[in-house]
Amino acid sequence: MTHTSPHTAPRLSMRTRRAIWVWAFLALPVLFYSVIRFYPTIDAFRLSFTDWNLMSEPSYIGLQNYRDMFASAEFWKVFRNTFAYLIIGTPISLILSFVIAYFLDRVRFGHTFLRALYFLPFITTASAMGWVWRWFYQPAPTGVINSVLGAVGMGQLDFLRSTTWALPSIMVTAIWAGLGFQIIIFMAGLRSIPQTYYEAAKIDGVGDFAVLRKITLPLLKPTTVFLVVFSSIGFLRIFDQVYNMTTNDPGGPLGTTKPLVLMIYQTAFNSYQMGAAAAQTVVLFTILLVISLLQLWILRTR
Amino acid sequence: MATFELRGLIKAYGKTRVIHGIDLLIADGEFVVFVGPSGCGKSTTLRMIAGLEEVTGGEIRIGDRVVNEVDPKERNLAMVFQNYAIYPHMSVRQNIAFGLYTSPLSKADKARKVDEAGALLGLTPLLDRRPAALSGGQRQRVAIGRAMVRDPVGFLFDEPLSNLDAQLRAQMRIEIKDLHRRLGTTIAYVTHDQVEAMTMADRIVVMKDGHILQAAPPMEIYDNPVDVFTARFIGTPSMNIVPATQSGGVVTLAEGDPNLLAGVRPHDLLVGSTIADPGLTLTGTVTAVEPLGPETLVHFDVAGRSIIATAPAHGPVTIGATVTALAPRGHVHLFDAGTEKAMGRA
Repeated sequence: MTHTSPHTAPRLSMRTRRAIWVWAFLALPVLFYSVIRFYPTIDAFRLSFTDWNLMSEPSYIGLQNYRDMFASAEFWKVFRNTFAYLIIGTPISLILSFVIAYFLDRVRFGHTFLRALYFLPFITTASAMGWVWRWFYQPAPTGVINSVLGAVGMGQLDFLRSTTWALPSIMVTAIWAGLGFQIIIFMAGLRSIPQTYYEAAKIDGVGDFAVLRKITLPLLKPTTVFLVVFSSIGFLRIFDQVYNMTTNDPGGPLGTTKPLVLMIYQTAFNSYQMGAAAAQTVVLFTILLVISLLQLWILRTR
Repeated sequence: MATFELRGLIKAYGKTRVIHGIDLLIADGEFVVFVGPSGCGKSTTLRMIAGLEEVTGGEIRIGDRVVNEVDPKERNLAMVFQNYAIYPHMSVRQNIAFGLYTSPLSKADKARKVDEAGALLGLTPLLDRRPAALSGGQRQRVAIGRAMVRDPVGFLFDEPLSNLDAQLRAQMRIEIKDLHRRLGTTIAYVTHDQVEAMTMADRIVVMKDGHILQAAPPMEIYDNPVDVFTARFIGTPSMNIVPATQSGGVVTLAEGDPNLLAGVRPHDLLVGSTIADPGLTLTGTVTAVEPLGPETLVHFDVAGRSIIATAPAHGPVTIGATVTALAPRGHVHLFDAGTEKAMGRA
């Protein structure tokens, strides 16, 4: 007969046993991320101080990669392009997706269908989408947009081969690609605002615009903060649309559409300058970090 | 200041009718409480008065104006919601002032009104706080403050105390009643809590399945409920209902399917009483004893029915014992077994 006295305490304290369970579950993802995320990230910092072409051993050259980078005109052009995507793309995509979500939220008829329609681009492969849009932008009669422009009596625009229009044209594609996701998130945010807030305002006689400004937007702030950060990171890392829409001369014409990520890709896998590419990655990492922290600080809850 | 009048009011969602043509006149300055179980249509009725729900049929009048097609804001009513509906991103002062958002008053006048409302509700030291830093009772007072500053012709309350704990609820009952006394504004108040209805109302409107069963002052409903539902809904614990027969003013328990039901409130059914010539006598085995302090509730079984009676506080009643409980004459309510309508008392 086995007999356990109810007064015998287990060998390990409750706290220790809980900790063991927690760490048992955490161990796998921690290990995984350490190997495939954290180690390469940290190693990029080390590589940025070296000269390495994948064949020989990396040799330490100090800050030379950074000096070369900051001295090159191409880097500053790419830098400006990247910020153009960010500064124009983020607000336009957020305002657009909010307006669509705001009205879609009020539509009863065909609501689910419309929502699915807006979400569709998000689940489509970026490269396929890039090629479809590239087609849209072709001269008439191939390109839909130029055909329409021609039909209404306006001149043709050579969208993707113009140094002025190529970047905005690609940005439109990128905005459109992210719209579905942002709309869904905004709608979830709108739905989470209790209906009685609106009913109370209605009884108090507050108009639609005042309700939007005084109630909806302030209460939607957590959603907005999330989307601003998320969308900014997306535009700072833009690559697929640019690469697929300018395959003949990636980042062209004359580098006017080239973002930082494409430059890193070319430095690493066309020129095999791993050290220089790592230095560019470190710059991108720093920009992402600073912008995200800045946004969180500006939009913090007071 | 205004009267509210409902004439043949109907509400339907699609083909489902939820309010079946109700008539009610709420006098100027009257405090009327709508009470009933979930889904009886009391909140829907209130929301139609507020203008948040469209009227399917019939008429709503505020004063002598038909308001069926009038926008909520044009009705000049104020409403207080169960979840308070005060804005978490605004301070207490801003929340109260939001009631005056569209008012043509000057800034100074608005500030003065907010301060007055704050003082009246004991919110002065809290005016610059955010709602998150307030207790449930304080939040509801802010909501009442926002309603008050507009000087509405009437207040609508939709289960305002349901989210509060019992102690706070008791305190807020007194506060709202006191507020009504001071402001003298017409109030329509919805609750599912019959204690709130009894303690606050000038008149209770008992609703069930989209019909008004009875609209009368609290004690009138308590003393003379029109049917079995109202009798059991108003008063705690609920009235005992047993099948009965009556002969010579004395009611006795009946077997089978008689055409009479007898109702007796637990407080009128006394264990260990020695009154002579009782109206109803019930004997059974005790199944539960609940000492409340001033008195003890005794649950006992009579012919398979659970009956609640009252015993003196320190009575010797124990579970399993057989007890006899008596109700004095004049305290036994009689109902028709078929229609469940009241047929007077015995």
